Amino acid sequence: MISATLLGQSLLSGIFSGCFYAMLGLGMTLSWRYLKVINLAHFAFVLIAAYLTYQLVGKSGLHPLVVAVLLIPLFFALGIAQQALIDYYKVNEFASVIVTFGMAIITEAALQWFWSADYLKLESHYLRGSTQIGTLFLPIGEAVMALIAVVMCAAVWAALRYTWLGKALRAGLDNPQIAASFGVPNRQLSYLVAGVSGATAAIGGIFVALLFTLAPSQIFAWLGVVFAAALLGGLGSPIGVLAAGLLLGVSEALTMAVIAPAWAPVVPFTLLMVILLIWPERV
Amino acid sequence: MLRIENLHVGYGEAAAISDVSITLGKGELVCIIGPNSAGKTTLVNAIARLLPVRAGKIIIDGQEATRLTPQQLCDLGVAIIPEGRRLFTSMSVEENLDIGCYHAKARANRMQSLARIYDMFPVLSERRRQIAGTLSGGQQQMVAIARALMAQPKLLLIDEPSLGLAPVIIKQVFETISAIHTQGVSILLIEQNATKALAISQRAYVLDCGAMIAEGTPAELRDRSEINAAYFGHGH
Repeated sequence: MISATLLGQSLLSGIFSGCFYAMLGLGMTLSWRYLKVINLAHFAFVLIAAYLTYQLVGKSGLHPLVVAVLLIPLFFALGIAQQALIDYYKVNEFASVIVTFGMAIITEAALQWFWSADYLKLESHYLRGSTQIGTLFLPIGEAVMALIAVVMCAAVWAALRYTWLGKALRAGLDNPQIAASFGVPNRQLSYLVAGVSGATAAIGGIFVALLFTLAPSQIFAWLGVVFAAALLGGLGSPIGVLAAGLLLGVSEALTMAVIAPAWAPVVPFTLLMVILLIWPERV
Repeated sequence: MLRIENLHVGYGEAAAISDVSITLGKGELVCIIGPNSAGKTTLVNAIARLLPVRAGKIIIDGQEATRLTPQQLCDLGVAIIPEGRRLFTSMSVEENLDIGCYHAKARANRMQSLARIYDMFPVLSERRRQIAGTLSGGQQQMVAIARALMAQPKLLLIDEPSLGLAPVIIKQVFETISAIHTQGVSILLIEQNATKALAISQRAYVLDCGAMIAEGTPAELRDRSEINAAYFGHGH
């Protein structure tokens, strides 16, 4: 029988993983639903941002917040540029998987070219260490990441639900022609979604650099589980992707603690399949 | 308010609308009647800039509107109540109305417009939080009308408002259209139900097989026996 401490600690680490999946999945679920782009290049953006953070924080000595101020607008613009290309070539939903997968492969090669295929670790004192709550250790970096992920999901949810732009976006999804007849600028809104998605990739990338070891192949490390979180959460739903991310993260962590670490990757897809079987209208 | 000159609209080779001309004065209620598939919806969609125009001109309020986008048409103060309502079905009633006043000018008067509309349709006020797709057909038509009114249009395009509705609701819908007209809105009404449409219109056009075959006041059209026979089913 495993101890309560181990269980608590793995629950905590599952929550952190879940929030991380949501942070990466937010941009993906938005572009999937609102742009009809299944954007695998989102992970390429995340890794580019991570390597840039590695360079700017680790080598140039900038504060991560300064890096955030630089990268967020840059990746907002990159997101728009990517969407402009996808628009220009009239890439449809299914083709978008192939096209953005290609972009991810090219990015992997480019990252290897600049930073080599070796593992790199950002050595910095930012968000290091942990505090203890009872018998549990709370790592500062993960906790900050989780908090920001929750804030991001909640902010996007509120924006979609309560702002004029959010309502216009949903109306455009229901009925683009009629929405346009009432003055909704569908095209500009789609660029806004692409930009926001890009900006979330920048934030995700900064935390990837601060919390993980970097390798170009990491582009594909979280693809499967984040894909599952986006689908399970209901496409386009920021709260859904957070909830699904937490479900996947926690169940993975518990599998690792209770059964064996090797079984953890099986969990997200088993859950995805089971839920799709019993609740097919979810997606 | 609206002038259409020799309009041609078509899909591919076939012309759905050929050489149609219409005028609609400020504050007028003009209807276009005609049988199913006469091209009525094609015509209104071309005016609403949802379909490309092949030839001819659309002039709204003195401005050339033939090549505008739907969004630019909205700037000119044109709103549409489309065939089949085409609500934002996953959004609430009030959110549908909000999109109605998305345009900056209309948005500035959101509160007054909402108050006026909830006064006009109390049931929409009760159901403001309900998802529009779950309303009854009649209530959905009210949302479609209310959404267009939120835009504070100068010209309202109404396409087949009676489609799929129960007779008692149809009566209510036509009374509402008449009331909107009394408030000074210019209205182009497209309707298959000629009797009902003529009863509230000042002038009418008859469209068949994509061409305009007659025009006049309701009284004049009723007096023309061949039109009477073909479109009202009243015999000779």
